Amino acid sequence: MRRFAAILASAVIIMVLATSAFAAPEKLARQQKMSYNVGAEPATLDPALSTGIPEAVIELSCFEGLTRMDENNIPQPAIATSWTISPDGLVYTFKLRRSSWSNGQPVTAADFEWAWKRALRPETASEYAYQLYYLKNGQAFNEGTITDENLVGVKALDQYTLQVTLEAPTPFFLQLCAFPTLMPVYRKVVEANPEGWFQNVNNYIGNGPFKITKWEHNSKIELVPNPHYWNRSAIKLTNLTFYLIDDVQTALSMFETGQLDAFDAPPAAEIDRLIQQGFLHKSPYVGTYYYMFNTTAKPVNDARVRRALAMAIDRQQLIDRVVRGGQLPALAYVPGGLPGSKAGVEFRDEGGNYFTEDVAAAKKLLAEAGYPDGKGFPTISILYNTSDNHKKIAEAIQEMWKKNLGIDVRLTNQEWQVYLDSRDALDYQVARAGWIGDYVDPNTFLDMWTSNNGNNDSGWKNAKYDELIFGAAKTTDQAKRAKMLHDAEKILMDEMVVMPIYFYVNLNVYKPTIKGVSYSPLGFVDFTNAYVIE
Amino acid sequence: MEYSPNLFKPVAKDIEAAEAIVRPSVTYWQDAWRRLKQNRMAMVGLWTIVVILLIAVFGPMISPYSYADQELVAQNQGPSAKYWLGTDDLGRDILTRLMYGARISLTVGVLASVLNLTVGVVYGGISGFYGGRVDNIMMRIVEILTAIPMLLYVILLMVILEPGLQNILIALGLVYWLSMARIVRGQVLSLKEQDFVLAARTIGANNWRIILRHLVPNAMGPIIVTATLNIPSAIFTEAFLSFIGLGVNAPMASWGALASDALQVFRSHPAQLFYPAVAISVTMFAFNFLGDGLRDALDPKQRK
Repeated sequence: MRRFAAILASAVIIMVLATSAFAAPEKLARQQKMSYNVGAEPATLDPALSTGIPEAVIELSCFEGLTRMDENNIPQPAIATSWTISPDGLVYTFKLRRSSWSNGQPVTAADFEWAWKRALRPETASEYAYQLYYLKNGQAFNEGTITDENLVGVKALDQYTLQVTLEAPTPFFLQLCAFPTLMPVYRKVVEANPEGWFQNVNNYIGNGPFKITKWEHNSKIELVPNPHYWNRSAIKLTNLTFYLIDDVQTALSMFETGQLDAFDAPPAAEIDRLIQQGFLHKSPYVGTYYYMFNTTAKPVNDARVRRALAMAIDRQQLIDRVVRGGQLPALAYVPGGLPGSKAGVEFRDEGGNYFTEDVAAAKKLLAEAGYPDGKGFPTISILYNTSDNHKKIAEAIQEMWKKNLGIDVRLTNQEWQVYLDSRDALDYQVARAGWIGDYVDPNTFLDMWTSNNGNNDSGWKNAKYDELIFGAAKTTDQAKRAKMLHDAEKILMDEMVVMPIYFYVNLNVYKPTIKGVSYSPLGFVDFTNAYVIE
Repeated sequence: MEYSPNLFKPVAKDIEAAEAIVRPSVTYWQDAWRRLKQNRMAMVGLWTIVVILLIAVFGPMISPYSYADQELVAQNQGPSAKYWLGTDDLGRDILTRLMYGARISLTVGVLASVLNLTVGVVYGGISGFYGGRVDNIMMRIVEILTAIPMLLYVILLMVILEPGLQNILIALGLVYWLSMARIVRGQVLSLKEQDFVLAARTIGANNWRIILRHLVPNAMGPIIVTATLNIPSAIFTEAFLSFIGLGVNAPMASWGALASDALQVFRSHPAQLFYPAVAISVTMFAFNFLGDGLRDALDPKQRK
């Protein structure tokens, strides 16, 4: 892994040198200020507790994990300078660099150990604790079956050496080390006020490239470079502002009046225009937009009905006319860009499509299920959380089902929190949903449909599926593991628990003067290497 | 000259003619109608309402499209022979949706007004007629209800019911009769002391008869004016609630929902916002002009 990274790094350096030798050099702007809309007021800025992408973007700017993802989504040494992996893939030994917190205190291996154990502690109640279940005894400790935290597989051997023992070989563990849940936190401030330590910007001590100077709630967060960052000389920005505006129309106005340099996911109706003007850039996004079914509710408890519904919509037209932005029609659940059975092969390309759009076959399936031409089909409802894009997609699908299958569907919109409750309580028939990968592996999409997973809001339980997912987690053989995950996806698609609609594309709007911002396919935005040109 | 009786001829006693009223007798309502007709703005308002009503009833029947028909390949088009006002972001005919929106808006306006009339008149009538402690308690209830903002009702109702037309109607029904109840109470309070009420009572009319046959008809002027002016405010409230997403369910079209949809494409296709905005404004003006005209017309002091 490390060798590969080194080769890649030198290749990048050569490329940079080559381009700078031939192309006119970029002239740095005098003012290195940048603003970006993260999209929402962060619910928390505690890396162990946050679950959303807006929070993660801010945390990536303020903290640094053992590794940091580069623009190709490959983990690079960050606080860890090097690491060794035992032959069985179970023990990682990280060598840490001498670096400090934003208040000048040293960052040590003990900080990582403490932060990881804190995230796992049941009383911390971290929703993302399962990102640490890969550690030996991580899950048992989090679920309270063992109480001795010394049994958890993370240990500071000395001040700058961290030893991690895993439950099973985890091919994506170095990626996880760059994930917010696994970032270190400054123990003293967190212990002083475990619930609200992040609310006072003076207490918000990080070890990342930037530090927060001001947090105006529901408006913006201002950051300046962290003077104690280990790689301070690489930071070119002098000011970074995160706006917290959830209305994309407002964000667009601000962008057009010059108050904002960059934002994501512009309103669908404006996409064509922004592409023409050269502001909109597409980047890969590991995510799927889908409708899921409540498999305990009539009539969608019948897999034939679910398949019929999935086959009776025109995804390409939906993408071209409603969603816009060149997403890919999804005829399977796991999106592209994830590793398959061997290096260089994508999981999706191996798996192919699991169904086709076919109105005639859909009608036949519906007739077999007892609803010929939609007769007698109970009125069902599509549940979506309030958003203009979700509404428009739902309206288009409603009409397609009516036209193609002759069934009447109602639309129900709910606020995010109410919507989550309804999903959780299985109080719906069809609900929109989307999932963005947490790490670059198909497992991040598939493990949520196991019987007892907190994210499985479909009421669907399948022992064979569980067996495959848990089996895959314990396998070291990547080919065998991929095979099991493919089999699991096939079950999920045959049963059509979720009806995939499209694979996301990240739509980033930014000014041509903005350079070096790294958009990860997991939705994270990294400003470490950002700069502004004339 | 000598006067003899035969010089004189008695004038034929035509009592009928003497008693005849030169000016034709007009009832209160005829008189009001006559005065309303002289008010040009009120008549413009009245005819506009009639036209909107006809469009709302017959428009969607004539249109070849339904409010939900989509033609995705023909989205965001300008006016054409096929789509008179163009299409929206999902390729739906804007004119049809606008006419359908008129149905919903007028239904909400009229139903809210009817609810308002029945509940408000009965409640205000009872409160004003009985007076004393009954009046005290009933008016305190009204004040408490007035003090709670309507948006709060609607959001609370959303928790119990799904958003939709019935939710709006319930919310409007809960609130709109309050002002009517107060007006009726005020009228009844002053009317019940008058002699005709005493007369009715002496010949043995019971309370209900006095309220419904004597007091309410005499308070009819202010009641009708309030009811008419309540319609546009109900229509506007519906538009506002739909606009912020608490109104009718998609894909149903009310004017507020249309405006809300159009706002999403406002930068590229501003005309889509223009149509529902004009529809709402014209209707509001029409009802307000008519309401003002009725207030003048029904005022007995203006009788000539």
